[in-house]
Amino acid sequence: MTLATIQGSSWPRLLLLAIVMPLLASSLPAQAASMSTSLFTESSERPNIVLILADDLGFTDLASYGSEISTPNLSTLAKNGLSFTNYHTAASCAPTRAMLLTGVNNHRAGVPNIPEMIPPQQRRHAHYQGTLGRNVVTVATLLQDNGYHTYMAGKWHLGMTPDLLPSRRGFEQTIALADSGADNWEQKPYLPIYEKANWFADGEETTLPEDFYSSRFLVDKAIEFIDSNHADDKPFFTYLPFQAVHMPVQAPQAFIDHYMGVYEAGPQALREQRHANAIALGIVPASSPMVTMATTDDWQAMSAEKKRYEAKRMAVYAAMVEAMDYHIGRLIEYLKETDQYKKTIFIFASDNGSEASGLANQNTSLNQRVLRAQNYNADYTTLGLKGSFNAISPSFASASASPLAYYKFYVGEGGMRVPLIIAGDSIPLKNELSNAFSFVTDITPTILALTQTAKPAERYGGRKVEAIIGRNLLPLLNGHTKRVYAEQDSVGYELGGHAALFQGDFKISLNRAPLGNNEWRLYNIVTDPGESKDLSSMMPARLQNMLGLYHQFTIDNKVLPVAANYYAQRQVALNGLQQRFGSQILLMILTVLVVLPFYLVYRLSHK
Amino acid sequence: MKKVLSVIIALPAVMFIMTGLRWLVDPATAAAQFGMPLLDGIGLSTQIGDLAAFFIAGGMFVFIALITSKRSWYYPPIMLVGFTALFRVLAWLLHDATLAVQMIVPEIVIAVLLLAASRIIPEHE
Repeated sequence: MTLATIQGSSWPRLLLLAIVMPLLASSLPAQAASMSTSLFTESSERPNIVLILADDLGFTDLASYGSEISTPNLSTLAKNGLSFTNYHTAASCAPTRAMLLTGVNNHRAGVPNIPEMIPPQQRRHAHYQGTLGRNVVTVATLLQDNGYHTYMAGKWHLGMTPDLLPSRRGFEQTIALADSGADNWEQKPYLPIYEKANWFADGEETTLPEDFYSSRFLVDKAIEFIDSNHADDKPFFTYLPFQAVHMPVQAPQAFIDHYMGVYEAGPQALREQRHANAIALGIVPASSPMVTMATTDDWQAMSAEKKRYEAKRMAVYAAMVEAMDYHIGRLIEYLKETDQYKKTIFIFASDNGSEASGLANQNTSLNQRVLRAQNYNADYTTLGLKGSFNAISPSFASASASPLAYYKFYVGEGGMRVPLIIAGDSIPLKNELSNAFSFVTDITPTILALTQTAKPAERYGGRKVEAIIGRNLLPLLNGHTKRVYAEQDSVGYELGGHAALFQGDFKISLNRAPLGNNEWRLYNIVTDPGESKDLSSMMPARLQNMLGLYHQFTIDNKVLPVAANYYAQRQVALNGLQQRFGSQILLMILTVLVVLPFYLVYRLSHK
Repeated sequence: MKKVLSVIIALPAVMFIMTGLRWLVDPATAAAQFGMPLLDGIGLSTQIGDLAAFFIAGGMFVFIALITSKRSWYYPPIMLVGFTALFRVLAWLLHDATLAVQMIVPEIVIAVLLLAASRIIPEHE
């Protein structure tokens, strides 16, 4: 290039480059950024990551957390790494997934609630759509840009339009359920608010195979994706969000058989048994008290027939957990057979606590009639099999959440504290527990550190993006520290008017009706994870300070208030009606508006 | 007799208007009803524009005919519906389209009803 050309026609191009290059530089993944906390600094080989997310799995639903349910593969993982006993997630599905995959607070990521529960007055705001915003970068995008293969097989629930599906959010190969849930045996919606079960393969609508069972199918697809690129040297990131154990709770008969007769002592006995197991395993302190949940029915007052039915409901639930574990075992086996296991790190968690929205009386004639309209039944003999609709009962949900209080959709520990296991041959700590506070936003920065991938800068891919707020958990995995959040650090959370803030060992929470009383409470969740003793009157200064921090959290994250009469389940029904029948209702109104003037003129002219 | 016939021909007119409005409100469902995919770009513009106009205008012609009691207002909807049935048959004969009997028969019935109404109802030529 001569001086003449630089001075001539190339000058505008150089000027453009001068403007664009700094922008590009700030948006590209800065792989050379600090990697000092990585486990793999001494090795050039970056690990594969398998991120497994269970759906609605309660705090003590795994054997390694105190459950009677057989989960040998997850127990093996727990022995090969660190299990977190003070890990918190959002109290509902999509907000968790938004934070899990971005490390950004869900309100800033566009997912303050599941879209099905957002009232119209909130939906007017751009950040209240319940779909993952373009102002956040997923961990899949960051890993893909850093040379990883990225796969997803499972429930997405962060948007259904083509631009919102995982294939457009950094995942190279995908099979994704866009809805909040669906049948586990066939392509069928589980709620009448959906016209169909919306499954997508690589961004295109797809049809499920005839022999579909969700956990088996999703693991098959994950193996297929991993295997498709096994020959090359690139590491992979696989996101495996199971449908298990979201309702409808369904499982193969062979697994159900393992639990027939196991739950005949009832939910309260199970809650107490799991509490004792959790203490014995060191999951909760020996002195931690446990409250009796209001949703737990009096087992002794039930008829023998009712007890038999309720025990089977729980047996199917346990079977669904075991089936998930079994299929995780198949994935592990595949990775071992193909010599990929040793370089793989597994992260297992649940998206929220136990679900207590199932009906207390599931097999009434009225409910059976409603279920028949959806081609379901709730008969005892076929419970959990194809065509059967089942959910864990509110009574047994209290056992699933044992020894914690509250459930999914509430900000009690039962809704937010769930198992988290990070395991792999390269994790220095083995078979250890950590009671350090951790939050779902910590998963993305931890994966980035494990894979030597830089966090996104202020701009990424040409657009301004939200900063990651989560903490890297590697110092805990290395055993270098006992906590990653300092005493004064706080983490706020809001869901449809339910509110919470964590700081040090303490937590303030406000649970709305129907299970809550709309009052702020203060708990020490380290010594009292069951939230049995409200400390607000004993520690008023701490309460006030934490309320101030929560107020600031709502401002920083643009949290919108809900109406006093807002009730999440009713909103689901209203939104569902509007979504399914809204256009028909609008059509009727428009037709009347068009036809009415003709009718009036006709009447006047024919008087 | 006139009143009964007025009601009978008003019903398909309401359905026409509803179908036209469906093209505006929910084109995907409307397209599915007619056994066609929803297009994009200019194709989508033509689908929505032409079909909404066809049905809404067809329905309105019937109402205007009923209000004015003028025979000439019956002819546009008779032609619209009648030609549709005729051209469906031509599409089958000339272009290998499916012979959509389930659509052709109602169209002929409506055209005949409108023709009858044009003879019985009008008070003005």
